Amino acid sequence: MPRGSDGLSSRSGVQIDWALMTGVVAVATMGVVNLYSATSPYIGAGARAGLADVYVSQIYWLVVGMLAGILVAAIDYRQYERLAYPLYAAGILSLCLVFVLGADTRGARRWIELGGFTFQPSEFMKVILVLVLAKFLHDDPKTEPRTLIDLLPAVVFTLVPVALVMVQPDLGTSLIYLSTAMTMISMSKIRPRAVITLAGLGSAAAFLLWSYGMHGYQRDRITSFLDPEADKTGTGWHALQSRIAIGNGGLWGEGFMQGTQNQFGFLPDQFSDFPLAVFAEDWGLLGGLVLLGTYAFLCIWAINVASQAKDRFGAGVSVGVGSIVFWHTLANAGMAMGILPVVGITLPLFSYGGSSLVTSLIAFGLLMGVSMRR
Amino acid sequence: MDFLVQRSDVGEFRRRYRWMVLVVLGTFAVLTGRLVQLQVLEAELHRTEARTNIVRRTPLATSRGVLRDVNGTVLAANRPSYNVYVTPGVIDLETTWPRVVKLMGLEPEVQATLEAYIREARDGPRKMQQTLLKVDVTRDVVAALKTQEVRGRKPRPGEGLVGVDVAPVPVRYYPHGELGAHLLGYMREVDAEDLARIGDHGYRAGDRIGAVGIERRWESYLRGQRGWKKVVRGLSRPNLNPEEIEAKYLDEPRQLDPVPGRDVSLTIDIELMRAVHAAMRTQLAGAVVVVDVRTGRILAAYSKPSFDPNVVSGGSGTKAVREAFRRLYADPLRPTLDKTISAAYPPGSTYKPFSALAGLADRLIDARGMVNCRGGYWYGKRYFRCTSVHGNVDLHEAIVVSCNTYFYALGEALQNAPGKTGIDRLAKVGRDFGFGAKTGVGTNPEAPGRMPTRSWYRRRYKGAFRGGFTLNAAIGQGATTVTVLQQALAYAALANGGTLYQPQVVRSIETSDGTVVQEFPPRVRRLVELDQDHLGLIKRALTDVVADRHGTAHAERIAGVDVAGKTGTAQVSRATPRGVDPDKVWYFNRDHAWFTGYAPAKAPEIAIVVLVEHGGGGGKNAVPVGMRIVQDWENLKAKRTAAHRKSTEKVP
Repeated sequence: MPRGSDGLSSRSGVQIDWALMTGVVAVATMGVVNLYSATSPYIGAGARAGLADVYVSQIYWLVVGMLAGILVAAIDYRQYERLAYPLYAAGILSLCLVFVLGADTRGARRWIELGGFTFQPSEFMKVILVLVLAKFLHDDPKTEPRTLIDLLPAVVFTLVPVALVMVQPDLGTSLIYLSTAMTMISMSKIRPRAVITLAGLGSAAAFLLWSYGMHGYQRDRITSFLDPEADKTGTGWHALQSRIAIGNGGLWGEGFMQGTQNQFGFLPDQFSDFPLAVFAEDWGLLGGLVLLGTYAFLCIWAINVASQAKDRFGAGVSVGVGSIVFWHTLANAGMAMGILPVVGITLPLFSYGGSSLVTSLIAFGLLMGVSMRR
Repeated sequence: MDFLVQRSDVGEFRRRYRWMVLVVLGTFAVLTGRLVQLQVLEAELHRTEARTNIVRRTPLATSRGVLRDVNGTVLAANRPSYNVYVTPGVIDLETTWPRVVKLMGLEPEVQATLEAYIREARDGPRKMQQTLLKVDVTRDVVAALKTQEVRGRKPRPGEGLVGVDVAPVPVRYYPHGELGAHLLGYMREVDAEDLARIGDHGYRAGDRIGAVGIERRWESYLRGQRGWKKVVRGLSRPNLNPEEIEAKYLDEPRQLDPVPGRDVSLTIDIELMRAVHAAMRTQLAGAVVVVDVRTGRILAAYSKPSFDPNVVSGGSGTKAVREAFRRLYADPLRPTLDKTISAAYPPGSTYKPFSALAGLADRLIDARGMVNCRGGYWYGKRYFRCTSVHGNVDLHEAIVVSCNTYFYALGEALQNAPGKTGIDRLAKVGRDFGFGAKTGVGTNPEAPGRMPTRSWYRRRYKGAFRGGFTLNAAIGQGATTVTVLQQALAYAALANGGTLYQPQVVRSIETSDGTVVQEFPPRVRRLVELDQDHLGLIKRALTDVVADRHGTAHAERIAGVDVAGKTGTAQVSRATPRGVDPDKVWYFNRDHAWFTGYAPAKAPEIAIVVLVEHGGGGGKNAVPVGMRIVQDWENLKAKRTAAHRKSTEKVP
């Protein structure tokens, strides 16, 4: 039965999406617990002992993110449709600011320092891109298939942040922008010719990128993925050790804080890039299935919310949030299990990192907002 | 889920949702499949890989077997060499370094080089790499370094010896230095070639292996077997309990105990060796072998000049080893050569008893037959010289005064015997006594020596065999060469009535706790076919060489020392050895001096052979050495019998 269409019933229809809430809280909780295990080798470890306490700051960021998410959900999402362009402009500006104010970490400029906190504009840009593309879909309710010209604004909206992030350089994030945008644009009807042209342009760009646009280490990651035996000590080493950790977990896992691959320091970047390896080693196939199942549920729930959304903007936002979660999970889990190359993409709500957490929670806040007002 | 609800302006998207759900489900199915593959299907493999990551087998060192002499005196053992290392990135050049320099007494130029290196390395990639400061420091220095250590707390800057470490490295130790060095051998580091050849026997880079001598031939017994112990890597983290972790991750067996090398007991008597060394004191170069005539066991095998195996075994560092070898190889007296077996010399007159036995056996001479020596012998158009004019001599006299003329006549008789196979007969008898073939003693590479035959001459001189060769061979000259050990065994055979023994240096093999694993009884190589009358004749003559006042050894005899033997003065080819100072060539052109014999003369126990290289006349130069050795041997025997009697008397 269609739900109310007048303002009154719409207001009374506002109700919290407890399923979504449960999924988010579950993943975030598992993330904190896992982070404690991942950093436990540093407990009392002299100079690096501080790393053992990162789970505390993860909890702080979770609280901050939850508050931000609740705030975002509380405001009617249609307000964001009107704010989409100004937000987009602000996002692009902050991405440019990175080059001016950015702190250089490990050869890349991704961070801005703001009053003692560092934050990563490219993370927030993910949500802004979803908003601007949803607005594009919302404002363009055609029934006939779209031509390339019709899609041009969306392509431009996408490529500007992609280019800016690529220069940082941050290949992973730009791939997330691209795949999220692709998912959202694919919601509309497109002329087959436009699809073919886009695909052709895409592969040409990828080729040019490979040949001229990529840094050596980025290329190494991909070649070492394609031929892991050739590079057992360099980049391939990370992927190999992650795979060993997951396999070592077996059916039931080594137990909380018992995974030797993590405890003896064989997992690199165990808080941000390879938390899944730590989790799967500690909790085994059982834990892995629970975690992956929760992510699958969140993705499908986002599609469900989209299918019931009141308008095109809401549907677009829901699919956009779902696709952010989907592509992150695929890239990160695929990397940890050795079926995709090593690219620094986090596991949403699970990996350590303030900007990533807050962004994910804001995105889920948006989804919650749409879900509450369907 | 209500996917089918239609909304006016969202209808365009509707057709996509089903696909998206399918893509999501498909993707997660693939991820789940991979998870199952890693965690269920390949779980064992990855578990093993994870264990290999954290468990390491650390080698447990073994100790090399000890070499002992016949009385149990240690000839080769192991000791720790304390090496001092410095870490450039840690040591304080202002405060610690000057104290280290003073403590270890570093020479100024060494100090300057090291200091320059530390300055250069302390900010580079090698700053945490320990550098060798000094090899094999004394215990006093180790003790001094230890007392400077600060324990239980962090040392203040300038206090203690931060950045200086001492590490013990096991090295081979030869307590008797150069005495018996050729026989015992020495150690060297395994090289790439060894590792390729025998690497699968557990040798690793940096290991030491017996280079020559007993150390080399008995390597497989002496070296022992390294063990291992499984350890968990990186256990230093405070939140891990080592015992718990080890109990959890180390599967049985956790350790393989090292097997210490077998001890090898030799037949050598180091006290007799020391007596030999003392007897040879005035001689530049030569060799002495003493064997037990009743067993063939070698009591002394001495080669001069010698070298210190402690130095060349590497205890004092690679530089010292290289320098030592450079010096040894440059020495024209060839200190590295084992002159008891690795070099063959013309035997000269010491060979005459064997020529005589050949003639007697073929009935070509009569022991009573006389030859008139006028200082030489005409054979065809060639004149063969004797050392003196001896007048009428029979066989006994000819051996006692060492008359060449008699043996030239014997040579001609052999040459003229039916078939003209005289020189082959000489060679045959020589071979019966073990000449011309390796003895198989198994210590160092052996020279076989040479018993020339007609066919050998034909090969060597393109068919021109001359009868004169037989005459020269009869007095132990010409192409005939023998080793000192061959001489000793042949004289032992004369002394014991014709038994040629297999020479023996290893008496038994024991485990490190003293249990005998294997004993080597004496082995007879051959019973020489001999007429005992002929042998008795020869032995009487050998006794008179010393006892008779005309005997060539008589002048240098020691009263009361009961010994029989033969002197020899072997001519050497007048070629100038390479790299010898022309002013010293006269030395290398001088004859070799021999004394070969046995003692006591009546009931022989030992055979003794002395070779003084370029010593000149055998009677004057080799005999005194032999006499002193026999005298010392008698004294040693008396002392030991007395000690033995005393020890047995104590027990009622």
